[in-house]
Amino acid sequence: MAHLSEGTLRRKFDDEDALTDSDGRHYSACADCQARYAAFADDAQAVAGVLAVPDLKVDVASAFSRVFSAPAAQPRFGIRLPIVRPASRPIMGALAAAAVIVALVVTGVAQSALTFFEPKTLQPVPVSVADLQSLSGLSAYGTFAWTKEPTPQIVTSAAEVSGLDVPVVRTLPVGVSTTVTYAAMQQAVGVFTFDAAKAAAAAAQAGKPLPKMPRGMDGSTLTVTVGPAVIEIFGNLNKGAASDPTQLSLPQLIVGKSTAPVVTSSQVTTQELENYLLSQPGVSPKLAAAIRAIKDPSTTLPIPIPIEFATTTDVKVQGVKGVALGDNTGLGAAVIWIKSGVVYGVAGTLKQDAILDIANHLT
Amino acid sequence: MGVNLEAASEAGRRNGAVKSNEESFEALFAAEYARVAGIANRVLADPQEAEDVAQEVFIDFNRLHSATAPYAAAWLYRAAAHKALNRIRGRRRRERREFAQAIDEGARTMDPQHVHEASEDRRQVRQALARLAPKPATVLVLRASGLSYAEVAQSLGVGVGQIGTLLRRAEAALRKEVTRGSSF
Repeated sequence: MAHLSEGTLRRKFDDEDALTDSDGRHYSACADCQARYAAFADDAQAVAGVLAVPDLKVDVASAFSRVFSAPAAQPRFGIRLPIVRPASRPIMGALAAAAVIVALVVTGVAQSALTFFEPKTLQPVPVSVADLQSLSGLSAYGTFAWTKEPTPQIVTSAAEVSGLDVPVVRTLPVGVSTTVTYAAMQQAVGVFTFDAAKAAAAAAQAGKPLPKMPRGMDGSTLTVTVGPAVIEIFGNLNKGAASDPTQLSLPQLIVGKSTAPVVTSSQVTTQELENYLLSQPGVSPKLAAAIRAIKDPSTTLPIPIPIEFATTTDVKVQGVKGVALGDNTGLGAAVIWIKSGVVYGVAGTLKQDAILDIANHLT
Repeated sequence: MGVNLEAASEAGRRNGAVKSNEESFEALFAAEYARVAGIANRVLADPQEAEDVAQEVFIDFNRLHSATAPYAAAWLYRAAAHKALNRIRGRRRRERREFAQAIDEGARTMDPQHVHEASEDRRQVRQALARLAPKPATVLVLRASGLSYAEVAQSLGVGVGQIGTLLRRAEAALRKEVTRGSSF
């Protein structure tokens, strides 16, 4: 009979009756297994000794009150765009439009971390809200820190803050207010550092195995540069409260312009990075497939489009390929394009034709 | 003015569901908090930090999962071990506090040299534990915290038949890691 396995012998240490009858007979007659058991038992006792700690006394009631009163966690990626009140019902319809610019300034940061690129063109990627939320889970695979914090602010002269020329709308459709509020953000730089231990723990916590990590991935960094960006908000905003970003009402038209985000990395290649991150348990297969479908990830900016709110069509804007969004409720439209390393977006509670006309005449 | 009975009924159902979820979470907390904190303390050897970890684990769980999920306890145990191990990997601050605490606690019964050695041993063991791969480290921590083979298996998502082997190899690995020190 073969010798007893190490697992069987180790189990015997915890449970004297663990051996089957035949295993027990073998053990009694086998000096080799007895010697192995003695060594295993010695290790087990030593480890139990060094891991021993005094009993922990806890106050469950007070601990529960602390946990229950803890504020809800915020996503670690992204910043808030100061445009609308979250509770506004009409915002659901206009979200598709706003999402264009939000995608540039907010989700674009997280999305950028998925691919290594300096985008020249763009590609809509249909995602669910759950997919977008899962992107914030990238922080479970490393540490993200801003070396230059994004500081969007409401200003009187966007050019002064951002350094970008403010786009000029040549002809405003009838009914759109000529009152303009400017928002601007200076260039922001964030660094994502991969952490193998964190990634392993996150995958294990999700109950899934960690994909094999390419050599050099641990400790490698992604530097994400976004902005500068300017946004023009046309509309009569609430009661002179423009200095308070949370008090603005739904705008009629938003025109945004941002230097295309750039990501540089150390130690890993584009392909390794994309494959590795896309294979993480937190990225849904649907999102992964959509991003893989982009032909040239090094030059294409994936624009995440929430599938609950919008559909997209390819359009030509100012001589380049653009993506137009029309929301499912008919309440708004948007168009986004990249030209000369600058990402533009026009969005509003207007028909798509009107939005495209504004986009084509933007200077 | 009329009353929208359907809306009122829906609101009532929602309130009922919320209350039920809260109650379920509270019951789960009451049943498992001490054990979850104990697992974290097994890794950290620091009651206060262990409770911090345990509370973070429950907050994460409550954000992501239903308290009635069949895997709730297993998830909590594993998360506590992982989070505590991550804390050891990520910082040195605790070592200084632990050393000061050990001196304070031990001064009554032990000579300072002995206290220093005990603290140093504990530090080396925890560092060695954190250097192990997540699975063996978690096996050791959960088993040392009193979980049965079946509970450890459920937490790790492996068959119960594998636990003996995992445990054996993890013990050998830990002992090897700390052999250079004075713990064994």
